[in-house]
Amino acid sequence: MSLVQKARLKSLWVLHYDCGSCNGCDIEILAALTPKFDVERFGIVNIGDPKQADVLLVTGPANRRNQRVLRNLYEQMPEPKLVIAVGTCASTGGIFHNCPNVLGGVDKVVPVDVYIPGCAVRPEQIIDAVVLALDKLAGKAPKEGEQ
Amino acid sequence: MDAASTIISLVLALATPLMGGVLAGVDRKLTARMQERVGPPLLQPFYDVIKLWAKKPMIASPLQPVLAFGYLGFALVAAGIVTFRQDLLLVLFVTALADICLTVAALSAKSPYSYLGARREFLSMLSYEPVMLLAYVAVFMVTGSFMVQGVLDYGKPLLLVLPAALVALQLVLIVEMKKSPFDVSGSGHAHQELVRGVYTELSGYTMALVEVGHWAKVATTLMVLSLFWAPNPVIGAAVGLTMFFISLVVDNSYPRLTWQRMLKTTWALGFTLIVLNIAALAAGGVI
Amino acid sequence: MNPQTLVAVNVGLPAIAALASLVLNDKRMRIGIVSLTSIVLIVSSILLYVGGGVEFSPAPVYGTAVLALDFALLAYFLYVGYRARSPQVLGLTLLQLLPVAYFEFIVKGAHVESVLVVDGLSTLLTLIINIVGSVVLIYGLSYMDEHEHHLHLESSRQGRFFFYMILLLGAMNGLVYSNSLIWLYFFWEVTTLCCYELIRHDGTEEAERNAVTALWMGLVGGVGFVAAMFVGYNAVHSIALTELMAAPQSQLLLIGFALMALAAFTKSAQFPFHSWLLGAMVAPTPVSALLHSSTMVNAGVYMLLRIAPAIQGASLTYVIALGGAVTFVVTSFLAIRQSVSKRVLAYSTIGNLGLIIMCIGLNTGLSYSAALTLLFFHSVAKGLLFMGAGVVENKIGSRSIEDWEGLLGRMPLTSMVMIIGMVSMFLPPFGMLIGKWVAVDAVASTPLLIGLPMVVMVALGSAATTFYYAKWLGFLTVLPNSLEKRKKESLEAPYKLALYTLLGLNILVSIGAALVVDDVVNPILAATYPQAVTTPGYAIDLGFTTFPVWPLWAAVLAVMLVGASVARSKGGALSPPYLGGENVADKPVTFMTTADSEVAAEVSGVYLVSQIDEGMIDRLAVGAGILIMTLLFLVVII
Repeated sequence: MSLVQKARLKSLWVLHYDCGSCNGCDIEILAALTPKFDVERFGIVNIGDPKQADVLLVTGPANRRNQRVLRNLYEQMPEPKLVIAVGTCASTGGIFHNCPNVLGGVDKVVPVDVYIPGCAVRPEQIIDAVVLALDKLAGKAPKEGEQ
Repeated sequence: MDAASTIISLVLALATPLMGGVLAGVDRKLTARMQERVGPPLLQPFYDVIKLWAKKPMIASPLQPVLAFGYLGFALVAAGIVTFRQDLLLVLFVTALADICLTVAALSAKSPYSYLGARREFLSMLSYEPVMLLAYVAVFMVTGSFMVQGVLDYGKPLLLVLPAALVALQLVLIVEMKKSPFDVSGSGHAHQELVRGVYTELSGYTMALVEVGHWAKVATTLMVLSLFWAPNPVIGAAVGLTMFFISLVVDNSYPRLTWQRMLKTTWALGFTLIVLNIAALAAGGVI
Repeated sequence: MNPQTLVAVNVGLPAIAALASLVLNDKRMRIGIVSLTSIVLIVSSILLYVGGGVEFSPAPVYGTAVLALDFALLAYFLYVGYRARSPQVLGLTLLQLLPVAYFEFIVKGAHVESVLVVDGLSTLLTLIINIVGSVVLIYGLSYMDEHEHHLHLESSRQGRFFFYMILLLGAMNGLVYSNSLIWLYFFWEVTTLCCYELIRHDGTEEAERNAVTALWMGLVGGVGFVAAMFVGYNAVHSIALTELMAAPQSQLLLIGFALMALAAFTKSAQFPFHSWLLGAMVAPTPVSALLHSSTMVNAGVYMLLRIAPAIQGASLTYVIALGGAVTFVVTSFLAIRQSVSKRVLAYSTIGNLGLIIMCIGLNTGLSYSAALTLLFFHSVAKGLLFMGAGVVENKIGSRSIEDWEGLLGRMPLTSMVMIIGMVSMFLPPFGMLIGKWVAVDAVASTPLLIGLPMVVMVALGSAATTFYYAKWLGFLTVLPNSLEKRKKESLEAPYKLALYTLLGLNILVSIGAALVVDDVVNPILAATYPQAVTTPGYAIDLGFTTFPVWPLWAAVLAVMLVGASVARSKGGALSPPYLGGENVADKPVTFMTTADSEVAAEVSGVYLVSQIDEGMIDRLAVGAGILIMTLLFLVVII
């Protein structure tokens, strides 16, 4: 494994965006950052700035209003990047599935790499998902020598 | 100056980013432990920077790359001025040059958060630069020289002669390291008041350069602080590291305060401490 | 070339050229007159610097002419006072007219052996006055054309304008050569006249008002001079500066020097006489660039440099230093508060002059060196900044810094000039920073009771200087990565010539700072102060510390070059700023907000409005200044 690949696996900066969630999943995400679960020991930092983030953690379903913002944030993240749909709403629309303004899961707007089902998701599941995403990132990471 | 000492000085200056990176890792580990967490591995900052460097380049203004490198480059020049045992005031001025590179890089992108961070960075500079200058003047008054070489030649530990000035420099260190309560312009990793403040519009390799530059700056400042026990470099390093540790303790004890409070505290406390120190020395006949 | 001829050229040519400009009010003739005068003056001042000193008296007819013109001038000031209904002007002129008349006709004046003396200090000032001054004159050719176009003037008033501008150069030259106080006083009053006439050039009510303020403050200085003449004559029976300087220190002499210091403070706009310089910003910018940054205000500094050796050790000198230091720190903070470009530069000028005056007042070899270094570099850089500000003002039609946002994208050439000019005012490796470094070293070396408060003031003022220049310079670089096409910037030839010449000079003398100190500063000290600064070419050595000029320049250039190559190799796609994800699709710096409205993101300058109460501070400044002026005389009388 090249140094760059190793660095990418060991340092994962997160941008957390709430698309319209009831905040249940958001609270669980914040719980994952607290000392009890301490995701910072994996190099995960909630950085809040898309320009410096590697992973976009999205909660809540995509709807007609926030699709523009979601797309915007996704595009302002430099490659390589991942999207993790946290919770049932972000995955498929959840119980808001058939509401008039809801488009469905966030994969209707941005390409999603990992889906976490649950309502609300548990912090352990979030950590599992991030580890799964890291494997994907290792695979995604270009071979040594490429940019 | 012979070839050997020149090479040592050069290597030491170029090593300041590495030293600063290790210190940043220690910073995060200790902070985690103070918060009853495990914390990231010691080399975490290096992983962060390598990852950032390998990101697809994205810039917010054409001036950013040059200026981001300027920040690192001038921080290294400042480090070199210390390792080549030159004038302390020059260290301050060249560091200001580095800071200007950072703030102009932040201003050149028309971004409200970045702009706010840059304005606050100017205020941070306004608050710690005069105190630092006065502290160096105090060092001159005691040792008779502004040069690092002069401090080394002085023979006695400055800590015993200028303790209050060192406390003032502790305040300066907290502002320079961007630690609470004075991290108004762009804090460490988990704080998000201004999104990323002065760093908001940096990404990928420009962020990596600035991060490494910040390490170099902190390491250089700690080198200067360790001069306060020049006769014994080990104790000197301990002085610097203790002040570093104190910054961490203060960071984890205080919330972020306003920039007005930062200005008032650094000026009032900083100037008072140094002036009293000098007055005491004058009364005691030392200077 | 004979130094006496060069002196005659430096004083006489501008007088003739000024008259020619007034009489031949034709554009092409004017370009010819200005160009010719500039070239001759520059060559002449370089030759004078190289040639060395001289002491002589011109034919007696000139002495009579000076006297006659002096009375004519005072009579004109009386008329101005009457016309402007200004009791201050009337009173102050009478306070000069009557004593001078008494001195010349009743006491029959005093004979001075060498009326004109040219030494190192004179030649340094000559270089600054004529080189920077000539560049500003050339700049003025384009500026005044645009200015009069903006004002929709029917007939050009440039003849009058250049009359006073060129006359000022001659008067300044005469001032720095004068050894006789009557001659010095005459040239001093001519500069006051030029200042008054140039400030009121545009004829608006504000201009007239501010011109009168400048006039009466200048006349306070004139009264000071006349009084100094009387006192000096009473003390040593002579009005020759050389003899006043050579005489042993006495209370009477010190009173005379205090009066001269008072005059210097009025001319250099130090507290409490600072408001006239701020009011003078209504004048066309070449006036600000010439009089109020690099030439006329230096007259006050010159006066203090001249008398400094004679007041060493007296409390008077430290009061002068205090006045300069207080002015420096307060104006540096007031500059943060300004949003009008020329007012920032005005406060900056007053502040830097204060710093120089503080150094002179501390009266050691080291501080005197600092003062000369700062004077040299400040004149070059400030002239450049004012000229650039004038170009911007003409092109964008606004003086407000808020409208300068993103100027680098709209006017890259002028912006680069301004940015480098600003950087050269406060950052290494430029000359101003070197001067400031020497100044800090000088202040730190003075006795504690005096040095410590001044170090605090210098530290604070220096940090404030960084603040207001850095924020302005950053504001110029705001690039909104919008899709609008950039128009190519076109600058008229005189603008380009003036700006690039001074920019090149600025960079050149900064690189050669050590040589400047060695060849210009140190020779001046040789006569009266122990040499405090040695320069092995590549560095400046103060004995207890060194400034490695060339290594630092090399390092800075290396960083910039490596940075540029890193930037080029990594590159990067331009991305819109972070606006919470609300960026509007094809308008990157616009965001969508409530009710789907689109709002352009705005950034503005930082002026610390609620922290800095300009009105109150200004009143305090005047009060502090009056206190210091009172102290100036108390320490010599008591």
